[in-house]
Amino acid sequence: MNQPARVLAAAAPSPATAHTTMDRIAAELGRAVQGKEAQARLVTTCVVSSGHLLLEDVPGVGKTTLAEALARSCGLSFARIQFTADLMPADILGAQIFQAQTATFQFRPGPLFRQLVLADELNRAPPRTQSALLEAMAQGQVSLDGTTHALPAPFTVVATQNPVDFSGTYPLPDSQLDRFMVRMSLGHPAPEVEARLLATRGGAPALDAVKTVSSPEEVAQLRALAAEQRLDPAVADYVVRLARATREHGDIERGASTRAVLALGAAARAQSLWEARDFVTPGDVRAVLVPCWAHRVLLRSAVQGVAARDEAAHLLEELVRKVPAPR
Amino acid sequence: MRQGARLRLVLRDLASGCAFASMAVSGQLPLWTLGLYAVGLVSALAGKRLFARRAKLTALLLLGVAAVLVVNVTAGTLNLVVAACAFAGLISAHRLLSAPDPATDGQVHLSGLLMVAGGAALSGELVYGFFLIAFGVLASLSLALGVVEASVPDGEPLPVRAVMPPLSVGVGFAVAGAMAFFILFPRLNWNMTGPRAAPGLGPATTGFSNTVRLGGTGTIKGNPRVVLRATLNPDPGVDALGAYWVGRTYDIFDGQEWTSAGGVKRMREPLLTLRPGGDNLVHQRVELLPAYGGQTLIALETPSRLGNAVANSTTGSRRAPLQEMYGGEARFAEPGLSYSYEAYSLPPGGSGDSFRRLPSVEQDALLALPEALDPRVSQTAARILNGEREPLAAAQKLATWLQREFTYTLELSGDHEDPLADFLFERKAGHCEHFATALTLMLRTQGIRARLATGFFGGERVNDAYILRAGDAHAWTHVLVPERGFVTVDATPPAHRPSQGSKWVQQVLALYEALESRWRNSVVDYSFRDQVDVARALVRPPKGSEKAEQRRLPPPRAWGAALVAGLVVYVAWRAVTRLAGRPRPLDATRFVDKVEAVLASAELSRRAEETLEELDARLAREHHPLTRALSPVTRRYLEARFGGRPLRQGEAKQLLRTLEDAVAQHTRLTARASRAS
Repeated sequence: MNQPARVLAAAAPSPATAHTTMDRIAAELGRAVQGKEAQARLVTTCVVSSGHLLLEDVPGVGKTTLAEALARSCGLSFARIQFTADLMPADILGAQIFQAQTATFQFRPGPLFRQLVLADELNRAPPRTQSALLEAMAQGQVSLDGTTHALPAPFTVVATQNPVDFSGTYPLPDSQLDRFMVRMSLGHPAPEVEARLLATRGGAPALDAVKTVSSPEEVAQLRALAAEQRLDPAVADYVVRLARATREHGDIERGASTRAVLALGAAARAQSLWEARDFVTPGDVRAVLVPCWAHRVLLRSAVQGVAARDEAAHLLEELVRKVPAPR
Repeated sequence: MRQGARLRLVLRDLASGCAFASMAVSGQLPLWTLGLYAVGLVSALAGKRLFARRAKLTALLLLGVAAVLVVNVTAGTLNLVVAACAFAGLISAHRLLSAPDPATDGQVHLSGLLMVAGGAALSGELVYGFFLIAFGVLASLSLALGVVEASVPDGEPLPVRAVMPPLSVGVGFAVAGAMAFFILFPRLNWNMTGPRAAPGLGPATTGFSNTVRLGGTGTIKGNPRVVLRATLNPDPGVDALGAYWVGRTYDIFDGQEWTSAGGVKRMREPLLTLRPGGDNLVHQRVELLPAYGGQTLIALETPSRLGNAVANSTTGSRRAPLQEMYGGEARFAEPGLSYSYEAYSLPPGGSGDSFRRLPSVEQDALLALPEALDPRVSQTAARILNGEREPLAAAQKLATWLQREFTYTLELSGDHEDPLADFLFERKAGHCEHFATALTLMLRTQGIRARLATGFFGGERVNDAYILRAGDAHAWTHVLVPERGFVTVDATPPAHRPSQGSKWVQQVLALYEALESRWRNSVVDYSFRDQVDVARALVRPPKGSEKAEQRRLPPPRAWGAALVAGLVVYVAWRAVTRLAGRPRPLDATRFVDKVEAVLASAELSRRAEETLEELDARLAREHHPLTRALSPVTRRYLEARFGGRPLRQGEAKQLLRTLEDAVAQHTRLTARASRAS
């Protein structure tokens, strides 16, 4: 696979070439966070399905690195916004600046105007600032003083939050959580991986190893291709049956929303590209079900944080076993 | 062969047997076809598929059978429908004896359907209904087991427990369908060869001969088969009708047997008037059932008019002309299996001028005595009568004496030169013919005109009709009374007039008769007018309820019936739409079932919640040797099922063959490796 990414991008996109490109991106991500191949593929799937990613993990496992590696491997413009308690909406969206020479107001874009935005520790900012992201994530645009400003395409938000230390933070409201296509954790690397890191890298930044293997145009093409993947009525029905099962489950207070159903369909479409197929199978749906829906269902139990996430994942896996897949 | 498969075949064969029996109960199929089918069925049930090899060659036998049937039809000895039914039965027999495979199964079930349709066309009797329902149940069980068998891989036992609930539902539907079929067919006039044209179970046993002979040996068996069914107007409304139903009379006794002048009096009349009627005639609608077996019309004493006669035969039903015979007998001019007609009768007690209308030959015969009549008969009669000359009083006096002094028995006394003397002076026991003969001759010895009458006595009410059984056949005496004509006097002890069979048989047959009669009234003869009448009665306000009549609204029962009907329609509609909306299995789904069956033979079963693609992925992770063969198959299945690229003709078979080869090779290698270790 020595073929340059630019040449691939020029070729007509097909499931087979998409598969190759996605493999290449995931491989680069794997260089940044070693031993996390599954997570790297999931991040790639999320980007290709035009979704936003919520990384939830303790500090120091490579969340920021992963986001930067994604921007670099795809050639996306990148901005990192450290969310803090005093962060104001204008700090991320931008502001109208008075130009004394012309006596007019001119819009100065904030850091959100990048193709990949890392919203680091999103839950530390007040809700007002968090909700400033809502329009951007949902519609790829920002409205300010009655003027709409389009964000650069492809636009992706990678948000992080610490699932353990919630003191003095503002937990993301459900409406905000529902806008993230995938929530995932990286987790600590395996001991042998940590040992290898010590031995080989010698303290060099992980990002140095990441190369640009794609382009914003190519990502846009991948997204367009994924959106066109065939979703058989039987598979669509399967997704709906799964959603209904979450809504009827006794341990779940609130089941999957219609937005969750659409998100699962989009993620499954992107997932099908990994197999170089042009259609979605029930297996694709199952593969992305837990990362897609675990943060969208509200449990009846009082558990919070990591435990709630694990329990939701467990319930969804149980549902997958119970709801028969189409044959 | 698997246990389930054997059971399925037995059920299939029995279903076919029931379908054939539904035609055979009509009694119209040629005997040789019954025999051939019976042999075929018994052989099939014994597991001997005689035509398993050379099926095409043996099918030529059917050509021979068809030729024989065609000849019979052409010669007019066999009805076309009957011939077609017989042929369907023999095709079924041939299929039963052929090698069992899905095609044969389908043909057996299809011929079964044809046969039950044929059964409906031939009889539509109640027994037919039993066989029809049995066919529905057995055939559905067999079909359902076939489906289960097809979906369970070879080598695995059939999950009988798991399939029992759906099977029960299926059988329920089959029974309901069969009942609907049973009710619908006769209503649609599919019964082409005439209603109740068949003699039914066994040959006819009763009939009228030209003579009545006294004597003989053995025991007269009470026969409980129903031979006549009649509705009366006015209806006396009693459970047991103590009436005399006359068939014919005899006037010449030669010492051993009774005969009459005989011969045809009137030829082929559509309507016979035997004697002048009156205002108080009793109207009868009479059906002579196939078990009757005679051509003599039976009517209540004293018949006045007979007509509207229809004879039912295997070739159809048609209006039948009647003949009046000497001896007061009316007879169907053409033979048939069963008959129906209307009769008008005068109330019992004499018909006035009937004597004067008798020909002189018959008038003279009413006093004739056999040449060798034992003189003790006359002496005894004179002694008993003790000067009584009034015919009716004398007859009743003699009858009372006979009933008091003589014993009723069904045991025959054997042949005697003078059976009457034997009865009166030796044995002092006999049956109704002995009593009636004794009374008649004793009256004649005293110069009183009398004759022997035969027919039936009684009448058992079943629903709205009265039935008579073969065992109700009876003989009695007609005494000629001046100004009144012939009056019935019965010398037989009253308790023994009808001679029925055992109580047990009688009860079983009574139950069958009740069911059959209800079926006849409620289904076969239930006309559109009857339905309209029921609907009118339903919506008509209750009698005496003026308020209700003023409101002109249907009563609550009409609303209730409408509600129930609406609910039934709604439930049926829901069931139908649910069935219609059920997705049909796709080719790809059937393909994946087969793929899994092949994998199971290599002990590679998917887990309960696992899809084929997940199984494929798992095998790939485990570096299983079958992955190379399975992956293309899985991919093609996924394309066909979810990718909109259906399997091409023969592709599934080819893919399966490749997989089977790989599995077989893998199995061989595994076995070799295990032997080596």
